[in-house]
Amino acid sequence: MACTHDHSCEDHDCSSNWSLYKHIDLPKVTALNEANPGSVKSVFKAWEERLNSSGENLESNEGDPELLVYIPFTSDVKIKSVSVVGGADGASPSKMRVFINRDGIDFSDAQSMQPVQEWDLIENLQGVVEYQTRYSKFQSVASITLHFPESFGGDTTQIHYIGFKGEATQLKRDVVATIVYEITPNPSDHKTRAETGGGLSHVE
Amino acid sequence: MVLEATMICIDNSEWMRNGDYSPSRFQAQADAVNLICGAKTQSNPENTVGVLTMAGKGVRVLVTPTSDLGKILACMHGLEIGGEMNLAAGIQVAQLALKHRQNKKQQQRIIVFAGSPIKHDKKSLEMIGRKLKKNSVALDIVNFGEDDEGKMEKLEALLAAVNNNDTSHIVHVSAGPNALSDVLMSTPIFTGDGEGGSGFAAAAAAAAAAGGVSGFEFGVDPNLDPELALALRVSMEEERARQEAAAKKAAEEASKQEKGGEEQSSSQEATMTEHASGGTSEADNKKNDLSDDDNALLQQALAMSMDEPASSHDLQDMEMPDVAADDPELALALQLSVQDSTKDSSSQTDMSKLLADQSFVSSILASLPGVDPNDPSVKEVLASMQSQSEKQDEDKATEEEEK
Repeated sequence: MACTHDHSCEDHDCSSNWSLYKHIDLPKVTALNEANPGSVKSVFKAWEERLNSSGENLESNEGDPELLVYIPFTSDVKIKSVSVVGGADGASPSKMRVFINRDGIDFSDAQSMQPVQEWDLIENLQGVVEYQTRYSKFQSVASITLHFPESFGGDTTQIHYIGFKGEATQLKRDVVATIVYEITPNPSDHKTRAETGGGLSHVE
Repeated sequence: MVLEATMICIDNSEWMRNGDYSPSRFQAQADAVNLICGAKTQSNPENTVGVLTMAGKGVRVLVTPTSDLGKILACMHGLEIGGEMNLAAGIQVAQLALKHRQNKKQQQRIIVFAGSPIKHDKKSLEMIGRKLKKNSVALDIVNFGEDDEGKMEKLEALLAAVNNNDTSHIVHVSAGPNALSDVLMSTPIFTGDGEGGSGFAAAAAAAAAAGGVSGFEFGVDPNLDPELALALRVSMEEERARQEAAAKKAAEEASKQEKGGEEQSSSQEATMTEHASGGTSEADNKKNDLSDDDNALLQQALAMSMDEPASSHDLQDMEMPDVAADDPELALALQLSVQDSTKDSSSQTDMSKLLADQSFVSSILASLPGVDPNDPSVKEVLASMQSQSEKQDEDKATEEEEK
């Protein structure tokens, strides 16, 4: 059984619910205190592959189980719930604190700031537990930062899969990149209707 | 071209008065800082650099990370030497300064100049290193100046704790004739993690290297002073043209005699530079194929029917008689070299002759930043140019034999 819904999974494809991974801006995902730089990108995959730990996983440095993962999305999303699959032998994270729409958080910031929401996690090796969010706070998420302060006693923290369930809007919270600023106005750029052939001009 | 914010930690403790690095340790450090700032800003215009001092009354940030080189150079003025260096506090303040950088997309890097003895123990340095690694801050250490026992060990331990995938480096500079900045220029601190040399570093290194030795034609590097090189080359060509015209005139009046080995040495006399002699000896080799006086006459006619080079020779015919009278063989040699080189120059411009000179091209290429003469594609191009010029020579030789 792949999910804890009270219906049988043959009716619909559970994986389509957990499809927010497609809206993650993967090149810009970063993590702090990861043992292998760049390994954080491997934890975002399709629901079916969440238990597939043959590839890389995200592991923190030896002796320090704290992890901080910054995830930007390509458009604003609404997040209903989060699922995290950790490692065995106590290498799973025990708590998760999230921050929304903040860039450049580092460990001292994460430890001192009040998170939008925090959860006590369980050792979710099969990936069947999902953690509901306070949906009203997660309505327009452009980036999310997950802070895992501790593990279940292991020396390091391992994460095999992080999944988000929700909806993607098509809105983009992007900085406008191609604005042309005028230092002096160029009359040819501002043809009025009178010049282009006349017509009624009106003040709006 | 990594986007980076860098904090440079300067050691301005009492130990920096020492003169074992010229002019003084502190001055050498200041020069190195200036060079590093230049290199960083040049490799990526959005890079920022900040400076702080570790000794004196306490750790003091002179300038927060900025891309304005002028500010950085200005703050290096009027720094006072004194006190003891506090490495741990310096690194921590640098980390704090980087944390508050304006552009969060920049990678963080700290460069430390450790010139005086370190009073912290290895454990606390390792803890600092691990904290830096956790926050993904890279650290470069320049170990110079004092060398008490344990200093190198401590710094190596610090580097091992910080190092994440070879982004951090340590450089040991011992006192000696080389300036601190020159030694640093060849290290990964300057060249940025082995990305292949920033243009600044490569150009600076090339300028330093090419200072004494010049493999170039006139003792002047065309890259450094193109106008002077061009002027020298033009005057050389004019002089050669004049000489060739004079030789041609003499040959018209003198009787034709054997060619042979004498041509080599006499053509040497007529030329002034190794390059020109290269050109004419190349021409001489072809002349050895000629068997007839008629051939020479024919070539002369051909040369005269060519455009400007031939016409310019007519203007200078009067100068020849003196030379011709003395040594008819010399005159003949000159005349033949004139004919062939006029043919050369009309078919192949001077510029391409220069390009055909392999050594010239490779020395130009070596001084270009970012071009590695050992690169296979560059070698290919050179080889093809050379074979092209050889092919042209061969064509000319076969042309002449057919006549």
